[in-house]
Amino acid sequence: MNQPVTQTPALTGLVRLLRTREGVVVLLLVTLLLLIGIFSAASPYFFDVRNGMNIGRAVSIIGIASAFTTLLMIAGGLDLSIGAVMNAAGVVAAMVLAQTNFGVPGAIAAAVLVGAAVGWINGVFIAKIGINPLIMTIAMQFILKGVTLGFSASASKVIVDPAFLAIGQGYLHLGVAAVPMPLLWMLLSMLALWFVLRFTQFGKWIYAVGGQPSACRRAGIDVDRVIIRLYTLSAVGAALAGVVLAGIQGAGIPYGAGNELSVIAAVILGGVSLSGGVGLMEGTLVAVLLVGVLKNGMTLLGISSVFQMVAEGLVLVVALTLDRLKGRL
Amino acid sequence: MTHMDIGAGVPFIDTRDLGKRYGGLHAVRDVSLSIYAGEVMAIVGDNGAGKSTFIKMLAGDHAPTSGEIIVDGRKVEFKHPRDAKAAGIATIYQDLALCENLNVTDNIFLGNELTKNPLLRLLQSRKMHDEARALLDELGIGIPSTRELVVNMSGGQRQATTLARVAKAGARLLILDEPSAALGVRETRALLDLILRFRGQGKAILIISHEMRDVFEITDRIAVFKRGALIAVRRTKETTPDEIVSLIIKGNS
Ligand SMILES: Nc1ncnc2c1ncn2[C@@H]1O[C@H](COP(=O)(O)OP(=O)(O)OP(=O)(O)O)[C@@H](O)[C@H]1O
Ligand SMILES: [Mg+2]
Repeated sequence: MNQPVTQTPALTGLVRLLRTREGVVVLLLVTLLLLIGIFSAASPYFFDVRNGMNIGRAVSIIGIASAFTTLLMIAGGLDLSIGAVMNAAGVVAAMVLAQTNFGVPGAIAAAVLVGAAVGWINGVFIAKIGINPLIMTIAMQFILKGVTLGFSASASKVIVDPAFLAIGQGYLHLGVAAVPMPLLWMLLSMLALWFVLRFTQFGKWIYAVGGQPSACRRAGIDVDRVIIRLYTLSAVGAALAGVVLAGIQGAGIPYGAGNELSVIAAVILGGVSLSGGVGLMEGTLVAVLLVGVLKNGMTLLGISSVFQMVAEGLVLVVALTLDRLKGRL
Repeated sequence: MTHMDIGAGVPFIDTRDLGKRYGGLHAVRDVSLSIYAGEVMAIVGDNGAGKSTFIKMLAGDHAPTSGEIIVDGRKVEFKHPRDAKAAGIATIYQDLALCENLNVTDNIFLGNELTKNPLLRLLQSRKMHDEARALLDELGIGIPSTRELVVNMSGGQRQATTLARVAKAGARLLILDEPSAALGVRETRALLDLILRFRGQGKAILIISHEMRDVFEITDRIAVFKRGALIAVRRTKETTPDEIVSLIIKGNS
């Protein structure tokens, strides 16, 4: 390798760190802290427990879905039906609450079941029949949107059950901080899935399948089953996010804008490669927070939401460009 | 060690009129070959002679279109590489079957990870690293760290990792498809030694190679393929490189 003469040992060390999977997370974390510093200096309202909790709630839906789909994407999969599953899950939960007496557990179970069924179908068509994941999950998005609209007669289903609303609107009081429940759900999801990725055999297989599926097959791993499980898990995560979202909104909304692209963008920003094999849950967490801080800070500074969208896209491009360039250092 | 008695006893694996067609192309035709425990057999032949196709059938990667495979005197049908693996056949392919994004230990244990807690299947990372280290040392494989990612390793180290994986699986027949193609001189030396060591343990070894020097150094018998057919089997001691080359090119000696 050709090292420039000006490169100091400290810099070489930094470059080596950035090449590792942990390095990506460190870089994101530094960026996050920088952003927090900038916004704290620029706005008196930013650095505040309450505002922090607002950011937490704002990112929670994307965060929950990101946590689950991180596993799928590390294995090289892709799920564009996430947004449609969220809406469907919210509507199903609301309808179960309104029209049956299965209560909150029944509503959540029904939503999760819908997610699991959708994800399983995605997985079977992708793993067994070999349909391209992009095409399959886009098709599923259309199908599910149509079914959800038809099923609900295109009307929002209002939720009045206080126990269900607490899922999205409640707080856990910890000293001075009132932690919004959605943030808690997000952190719990990430913690559980971080554990799976890091410490379990299934987690190891997720990386292995993302790295070299043929090697896994030859090693006797049932690759198709791993893939089907991961699509199922991704959609279950989207359904859970949909339940929390319905709790926040106080309704199951069938025509909500799909946010699967924000979810996928966050996962990629966090260091998961679209070709699979690499990524950490820590990266997804920091990336989700980073996007949330960026949006919140810009809102407080009076920057229009139109430019915020542009900024979200730019951040992704910059991150991926840096990721590419660091390979050439 | 004598290998003169090869040909006696029950072979580990037999093929009977084994054939494979890809559409109109007859890639392997009517190959009958026996391989015994404790022997190293080479398969040689021109490009496209059907060598890889033949071993893929033994490895359970491709289903034969005719003929049969017999292991330990019993007819078998491999529907999946898993079935061949269960029968004691391990294969190292031309393209190395490793996960480059994982480390040495992960690859050695891939699919057979040591776990505790049957429900959560928690990885016993420390134990796997220790066992991998012991295995590499025992095989005389020089890999500094079991935590090194395969993507950062040399061709020889990758080969060695694959071989360690195979040794771990306790295979009885080891199949190698052009194992030294990507290796340097020292790495090839280490690989040949390892193969001989496996033979010493009573394993059968089937090796596809274009390297006549390697073939004559380590094999007991040489099988020559030409246009999908097995045209000759020679004892290595009773033939010469010239004869084998002539068989490969002209089909006779
Ligand atoms: N999957 C396949 N589909 C169709 N034809 C194939 C397939 N695999 C191999 N063939 C053809 O079968 C014939 C035998 O190929 P094979 O790979 O077995 O040869 P080989 O002896 O291993 O050659 P080489 O020395 O180049 O590795 C070739 O003509 C090849 O093109
Ligand atoms: Mg070949």
